[in-house]
Amino acid sequence: MGHRITTLLLLVGITFAAIALVPRVRGLRMPGNFQGFEPQQPIAYSHRLHAGELAIDCQYCHAGAERSRHAGIPAASVCMNCHRLVTASRSTVRAEELAAEAEGRPATRVIAPELAKLYSALGLGDDLEPDADRASQPIAWARIHQLPDFAVFDHRPHVGADVECQRCHGPIETMERVRQVESLSMGWCLDCHRDPAGAGLGVGATPASIDCVACHY
Amino acid sequence: MSDQDRTEPRTAPDGTDQDGTGQDGTGPSVLDRRGFLKAAGFTLTGAVANGCTPAPIDQAIPFLIQPEEIVPGRSLWYASTCGGCTAGCGALVKCRDGRPTKIEGNREHPLSTGGLCAVGQAALLGLYDSQRLTTPLLAGQAADWATVDETLRQRLDAIAARGGRVRLLTETLNGPTERVWIERFLGHFSDARHVVYDPLSCSAISQACRRTHGVALTPRYRFDRAEVIVSFDADFLGTWLSPVEHAAGFRAGRSLEGDPPRLSFHAQLESRLSLTGSNADRRLVVRPEAIPGLLGELTRALARHAGVSLGNGPTPAQAGASAIEPAALDDLATRLWQARGRSLVVCGSQDVDTQVLVNLANHLLANDGATFDLARPSRQRRGDDQQLAELVRELEAGIVDALLVRGVNPVYDLPNGSALATALESEKVPLVVSFASHHDETAAVAGVVCPDCHALESWRDAEPVAGLLSLTQPAMRPLGQTRSWVESLAAWVGAPATARQLMRDTWEQTVYPRRLAGAAETFQNFWDQAVHDGFVEVEVEAEVEVAVDGAPLSFDIAVASRALAAAGQAPAEPPTDAFTLVLYPKVAILDGRHAENPWLQELPDPITKVVWDNYASLSPRAARALGVEQGDVVRVDVGNSDQPVFDGAPIELPVVVQPGQHDRVVAVALGYGRGGTRRFSELGPRWLQGRRTVAPGETVGRNVAPLAIVAADGQRHNHRSGVRVEPTGARYELASTQTYHALAVPDALAPVSGEPRPIVQETTLPAYAKDRGAGAPHGHLPGGDLWPEHPYDGYHWGMAIDLNACTGCSACIVACQVENNVPVVGKDEVRRRRDMHWLRLDRYYHGDLEGDSDAEHEGEHGGGVDVFHQPMTCHHCDNAPCETVCPVLATVHSAEGLNQQIYNRCVGTRYCANNCPYKVRRFNWFDYPHRDPLENLTLNPDVVVRSRGVMEKCSFCVQRIQEAKQQARRQGRAVADGEIQTACQQSCPTQAITFGDLGDPASRLARQVDDPRHYRLFEELNIRPSLGYLRRVRHRQDDEEIDHG
Repeated sequence: MGHRITTLLLLVGITFAAIALVPRVRGLRMPGNFQGFEPQQPIAYSHRLHAGELAIDCQYCHAGAERSRHAGIPAASVCMNCHRLVTASRSTVRAEELAAEAEGRPATRVIAPELAKLYSALGLGDDLEPDADRASQPIAWARIHQLPDFAVFDHRPHVGADVECQRCHGPIETMERVRQVESLSMGWCLDCHRDPAGAGLGVGATPASIDCVACHY
Repeated sequence: MSDQDRTEPRTAPDGTDQDGTGQDGTGPSVLDRRGFLKAAGFTLTGAVANGCTPAPIDQAIPFLIQPEEIVPGRSLWYASTCGGCTAGCGALVKCRDGRPTKIEGNREHPLSTGGLCAVGQAALLGLYDSQRLTTPLLAGQAADWATVDETLRQRLDAIAARGGRVRLLTETLNGPTERVWIERFLGHFSDARHVVYDPLSCSAISQACRRTHGVALTPRYRFDRAEVIVSFDADFLGTWLSPVEHAAGFRAGRSLEGDPPRLSFHAQLESRLSLTGSNADRRLVVRPEAIPGLLGELTRALARHAGVSLGNGPTPAQAGASAIEPAALDDLATRLWQARGRSLVVCGSQDVDTQVLVNLANHLLANDGATFDLARPSRQRRGDDQQLAELVRELEAGIVDALLVRGVNPVYDLPNGSALATALESEKVPLVVSFASHHDETAAVAGVVCPDCHALESWRDAEPVAGLLSLTQPAMRPLGQTRSWVESLAAWVGAPATARQLMRDTWEQTVYPRRLAGAAETFQNFWDQAVHDGFVEVEVEAEVEVAVDGAPLSFDIAVASRALAAAGQAPAEPPTDAFTLVLYPKVAILDGRHAENPWLQELPDPITKVVWDNYASLSPRAARALGVEQGDVVRVDVGNSDQPVFDGAPIELPVVVQPGQHDRVVAVALGYGRGGTRRFSELGPRWLQGRRTVAPGETVGRNVAPLAIVAADGQRHNHRSGVRVEPTGARYELASTQTYHALAVPDALAPVSGEPRPIVQETTLPAYAKDRGAGAPHGHLPGGDLWPEHPYDGYHWGMAIDLNACTGCSACIVACQVENNVPVVGKDEVRRRRDMHWLRLDRYYHGDLEGDSDAEHEGEHGGGVDVFHQPMTCHHCDNAPCETVCPVLATVHSAEGLNQQIYNRCVGTRYCANNCPYKVRRFNWFDYPHRDPLENLTLNPDVVVRSRGVMEKCSFCVQRIQEAKQQARRQGRAVADGEIQTACQQSCPTQAITFGDLGDPASRLARQVDDPRHYRLFEELNIRPSLGYLRRVRHRQDDEEIDHG
């Protein structure tokens, strides 16, 4: 009797373990490889819209790429350059205008829910001016492209060598939510460093340094 | 197996149960034991794998509103002034993402000219000290500023109303803003006084100048203009007045440029081996008591040269046997006289009469206005011991109503500190206010503590030398609820304002009118320029104009003659079994103000190489006579002295045997035994055999300040005669980073034993003048290589260290530690030779290490030893021995000649460290604690923090190389010569280190490599290092070999 119970329990355990393992086995990769990582962000910012449809230059927001090691995530104040005026999509604004016209009242400002998060982070009042009574709270984005601490990546030489952002970050202008496309492994880096022309970086590209201390110090 | 046999059912290979135990008899089991284990194992693995979560999602938090000048990842540099001591060296503060991460010297600063000492470099850790007070304290309880201000305003107003006595006790403060606000604050009371004292006092100098020149000023000693320097016990390269400024000046006089080569002559007369003495061309060992007499003899000899009559006094012959050979003294006098106007006599004594003699000597030598500059005097030490003594009397009498203490810790550092603490605690002084940033010994007895900001958090100014204003600007907001003390003073007299506003107003009113001709046209421009540069030169104030406008200050020779007569009285010969106790400041610890800084505690003393302790230094012969050796504990007893002892208990200290020290002198460092160092009981890795750096409740070292003497005139003297030293029989294991000291070839090893090994090479000035390559050892260098050449198409980084410039000050060690995230390991790990400094300073002795010589005169021939300092770090060899033995290729050669150490590849075999002939590789035996999140803000974000089991070593600051290359590439040019400065090079006050491209024939480095003085260490091993040394040249005759016994 005791054996049957044990057996039953074990079988149940095995089944549960197997079911639970399936997604993990599928997602199995080398430690530190976050290829395909696509986390939820605090604000559903769309690169497809901004970089794709509106064709805003990458460095408009990621201004550090040319000047610093880090491309940088833009400060909320950079967003406000446009979003001080653009508070919602054209269609919703238009709809409000039509509705107001129909009801014979002045149109009210329409604020898209995602942009409301931006304004709230900045502690802005309803008039989009700083409001002393509202606390401001920096936006904590989830970091996607991340190298281990022992590797140093510097954006400057790559931008300087005319490496396209998409080369490492994937077709970012098509992504609604940003996903890590490449593995960012050392071998993947070295493919390009050894043979940039072969990796599609133009015919005349000279090989980059493959010294260890180019990246590890 | 037997256990299993007893407890598990026995199963047959077919899985059936054999004996049936544990069965209920219903039939064969479905699951045998093996199956059970398999299934259980799988289930367990599944459960564990499911328990795994992906790496936590890191957050990236950008600014809400981007400050205009900040680019994340780029550093900003702010010009400021070092707050480590009162010398006022110029500093550049590197800020990364809003926090300071490095302090470097400011090349443009007229005083320090680019160097910064170890203390200044380490001040960064003081900023991120979690033990700093974060709020004001009222009766020991945290309070807010409004309450404190209200309480103090009431109590101070009450004192002012009844005409009570208010005393402000501070360290040297020379900035105009502080001076103005102290005056305004004290003007509030009818009986108020500002008392200044320096724990490392130099007040006898200004007292002497008051007598001889009529002005109580400290001259600025211009070592850069001096060709002959005679120093009586003044450690001017290490701890005296303004070491960085002096070292830079000293170096300027020893550049070896020109023909004949320029090399000043430096003689040092001292009782213990100081850093300055270790660099002397001639070193004479004398007791401190003999110094007035010797100075008197020297002055008489100079007077004879000058043909000046100084009245009747005892001649050296009458005064008794001289401490040193008369010929040696005559030689010094002759050299000084020949270089009159370009010579300098300095003295570290705190005896006013002795300092009068120094002034007389410099006057006879016509050094006034040249090397002895009273027109632009130093304001780096303005303490007045006599006023301090008067204050202590007042405090003990209980007639002071309010005492405010800023920047000093009298309960700790005064000889009678414990009596003072009792007086303060017993409420003899109704109101005690401390501005201390830590809860130090004095703050502990203060009713109100108003913590001042760190120098990197505040607006301050300083005038280290008359006419040179040095400005401190904050590099970050205060971390805690601290407040600049000037703001506190202003708030209490009803004029609250920010420190910046107070300073700007003061500058507009008092500094801007002093601007030089051609300075900025508006105050705003003047101010902006000063903030940008970190300093501004202005007219010298009226206080010293007498020295500027009129004739040179008149010298009162009668006063000097009287002092000379006094000095002629030879000191009573002390009993031969008694020692003279010499208390001295150490290079990193100074008066103990930075004792809570572990970087400084773990910085090896430049001479003894001992860390984390103070100790009793004895000469080899004295140690032998006492029957003690290094590490034996002795009792230093001052009990029967005729001078009062303020804390009578004999003090017990471990012995360090110090060659080159006087045989009747026992030397102990000040600045230890600070209460705050109890925190270090938690320091270092914890493991089975690990011992704490200090036992719980104990301090690092012992406080010996109570053994100092306060003379009848109030002057504090740091030496005491008639001290007994007795062995206790106990042992104590000191932690030292160097255990082998002799440069000579050991007797057992070679027929040429006794010869100095060519590790540190040197020559003499006459030999060098004849042959620039003099001093090179004879030997055969191997030809041919087993390995193929490394082709260098681009840069080929290399380094040269000028041993003639290096003084051994150890600033480079701390600079490297800050730049490269080198951990502190604690005393016990250093005992196990596991110190982690990437750069070490080897110190060798050559000569009479054992004290065998039997010199007729005790001071003859420098106590018998020559001292050599040699910075030692990774040589980045072309044929690197470490590279060939690494089984995992974790250390390989780069295309630019760097020997790369790849931490993430290293598996910790330590073969490389064994095969390194320079022994510069450091192994991470532990994950050294980074427990304190605040302290971790010192970490350089450009350099990885290494983990346990990984080898590390000097990288030639590769992060700086990469940064400079990026900058250059963006601008489409090559890296310019001198553009890259390694951290050690940057900090060096004497610019002894040159880094550059060996492949560029025009570079400064290439010129140094071509210098005949250049040599490579262990060249005979054919490892072809990229680091070379420039041979040292001593100003000494060829036949003037030191006495080897």
